[in-house]
Amino acid sequence: MRQSVAIADSGFSRFNSLMFRVESTARSKSDLSGPKRACLLLASFLFALIGCDARIEQFEPNRVFTLALAKSRSIPTEPASEDVSQSLEVLFGTPNEPQWPEQLLAEEGTEDLVDVERLRRAAGPVSSGKDGTHRGLFREHCVVCHALEGSGAGPASQFQDPYPRDFRHGVFKWKRTVRGAKPTKQDLRDLLTRGVPGTGMPSFALLSPDDLDALVDYVIYLSVRGETERRLLVGAVDELDYGDTVPEDDFRIRYPADSEGAGLIEDTVVRVAGQWDAAESRLVEVPEPPDLDAEEMAASIERGKKFFHGQIANCVGCHGASGNGAVVILDYDDWTKDYTTRLGLTPSDREAMQPFRDVGALRPRPIKPRNLQKGVFRGGGGGPDLYCRITQGIAGTPMPAVSVVDQANGKGLTAAQIWDLVHYVQSLGRE
Amino acid sequence: MTGQQSTETAASPPARGLHRLVVLALCLVWPLIWVGGLVTTYDAGMAVPDWPGTYGYNLFLYPYKTWLLGPFDLFIEHGHRLLGAVVGIVAIAIVVVAYLRDPRRWVFFLSLGLLAAVIFQGCLGGMRVVLGDRTLAMVHGCVGPAFFALCAVTAVVTSRMWWREPSEEDAKARPIGYPLVGLIASLLAISYVQLVLGAQIRHVQPTTPPSQFTMTVAQHVMTALLLWVLSLLASWRLWRCGDLTLSRPGLVLVGLVTLQTVLGVATWVVNYGWPGFVGQVPSSSGYLIQAKGFVDSIIVTAHVAVGSLILAVSTMLVARILRVRGRRRQAQGVHDDVLATSNESLSPSAALSH
Repeated sequence: MRQSVAIADSGFSRFNSLMFRVESTARSKSDLSGPKRACLLLASFLFALIGCDARIEQFEPNRVFTLALAKSRSIPTEPASEDVSQSLEVLFGTPNEPQWPEQLLAEEGTEDLVDVERLRRAAGPVSSGKDGTHRGLFREHCVVCHALEGSGAGPASQFQDPYPRDFRHGVFKWKRTVRGAKPTKQDLRDLLTRGVPGTGMPSFALLSPDDLDALVDYVIYLSVRGETERRLLVGAVDELDYGDTVPEDDFRIRYPADSEGAGLIEDTVVRVAGQWDAAESRLVEVPEPPDLDAEEMAASIERGKKFFHGQIANCVGCHGASGNGAVVILDYDDWTKDYTTRLGLTPSDREAMQPFRDVGALRPRPIKPRNLQKGVFRGGGGGPDLYCRITQGIAGTPMPAVSVVDQANGKGLTAAQIWDLVHYVQSLGRE
Repeated sequence: MTGQQSTETAASPPARGLHRLVVLALCLVWPLIWVGGLVTTYDAGMAVPDWPGTYGYNLFLYPYKTWLLGPFDLFIEHGHRLLGAVVGIVAIAIVVVAYLRDPRRWVFFLSLGLLAAVIFQGCLGGMRVVLGDRTLAMVHGCVGPAFFALCAVTAVVTSRMWWREPSEEDAKARPIGYPLVGLIASLLAISYVQLVLGAQIRHVQPTTPPSQFTMTVAQHVMTALLLWVLSLLASWRLWRCGDLTLSRPGLVLVGLVTLQTVLGVATWVVNYGWPGFVGQVPSSSGYLIQAKGFVDSIIVTAHVAVGSLILAVSTMLVARILRVRGRRRQAQGVHDDVLATSNESLSPSAALSH
């Protein structure tokens, strides 16, 4: 009985909500005549029975990380999560009305990291204007895989291998900056234009430059917001004594306020945005590739083969002697380790993983080394791309970096030797 | 074609114009579904934010230069509305002609149902725009093919095939039992379920959990296999009926379901790439999805349109097989109370004598 009343209530409230929306629309279109309005109301009455879209009013909190933190610190983290979510909404707005903490970032001069107008164009429901301008770009192009919060756990995520990127870690694979740095805007734009072959990530080369810029800004926005959330949760538990209960007012995560908690928020946002802003200054220095004729290139490839099999680069350890990636390794990317091995949990242990799966974590999958023989390089197969990848590794994955040294010393490779290695890796795909 | 019965001896229906109008509606509705599919593929559903007008203009008075030379989104959305309005006008004409020319009262009510369905579908489309609601877009996408199927039924009951009197060939022909009728009816039901599953995948909500989406995709794949097997079985059984009006659509259905399966795989690939378990497909590991690519969009939209066509052919087959079954039973002197009443009321000669 109670259930049926609840269902009736829910249907009634849905109907009310729908009628309100129709009335609002009708009011906003003052030129609507009586019959047209009656038509709208009659139709809406019918459609109230059918149902309407799930409401999107706020970003979901990062429940997987909240749980991982609770396991690692052995204390409840829900109070911290609630306060962090509220503060984030004040600072960053909602999926329909995003905000950018410009005032807070103005002191460090990073307020222009993203353009607020672009953010608003990329956010919200999908629509297009009379001039063909699209709005709601993130939901149009990205949300099915990356999800509203950029968690990488969108509806179609289970079909992707590797899983779509979780922006909230602030870690990106395909970039030309040093391993620990954020990607530049150009890196993200290149990625959108190029796509990631062999995965579900499309090339958006057909989109207008304005659309691409808006998407880049929105990805940065989601990443800054998500990383701020993670850092604030850690800070709340480690520095502000959140636990079973919330701490006293001065230490609560609330914004705006004149308190320790607000100070932590400000420091965190400024630090995360600052890292993005500094990305341009952290580009990898890629020396000019040597200009080689066919004979020299063959010799370079031969030398590269030795480095590929050698102890310093030790590429064969994962990619195999022939570069076909057939070596069996049992390792995971950092996004998966975050709620598995770093907590001492075995990713294949279903029982241990179940609580994380229940709050939205994807089933852990081992990471696979690339089959270089196929000649498909997800982050771009150009010489400079591969040079960056070899010297920096791939952020968030077990792919390590090879040190660049001035003189061959048995601990690293010189720039020329790395170019040899690049040539060999490129040659594998042509065989 | 041995053993197949010809329909050349068919009697002329009293309202040939009605049938032509319904065929015209069918010919307009399929392109309408195509254009509607393109609207969704290009996310152009909200390109015109008002309804029933277009940017404040009456639908038919919107400046054609702005429409034709404007953005592609506006072109297809406004075009979709115009084509829908034309279908509505044809539906009104069908009602008028059915009232004036067709002696069967139930055909008039059927035509009224057709008109009501057009109006309902138009309102759905309009409300989708006014409320900006994706769920309504999905419902709109499911009602469109149902309307197409209704047109197919109307086309069958106004066709020459429907008016053919029971003949000696019918008396000699193999009787059609309930199992075959049930098989064809299940094809119709499953093809619609499949269409609804496809619409759920196409109009997925941003908040849909991955497990639910995965389940829907798995159901869509399983239903596709079931549909393919059933269509093969149905085609074989229809071939044995010895009636070209059944066996030909049966073969067409198999072809369409096969084509649809290929289009379904292609649709998945252009949207989400090759699944990992088919890594052996040449160049699949380097396949790059092109967002908003023209060919990709046509593939996806074709998958939507062929789904509607399968539904319409299944519906047509259900209507035809019921008619052929009744005629054969009448010719063979098999009467049960329900059938006798039904055949009498559907009998052209009986209808004309009223």
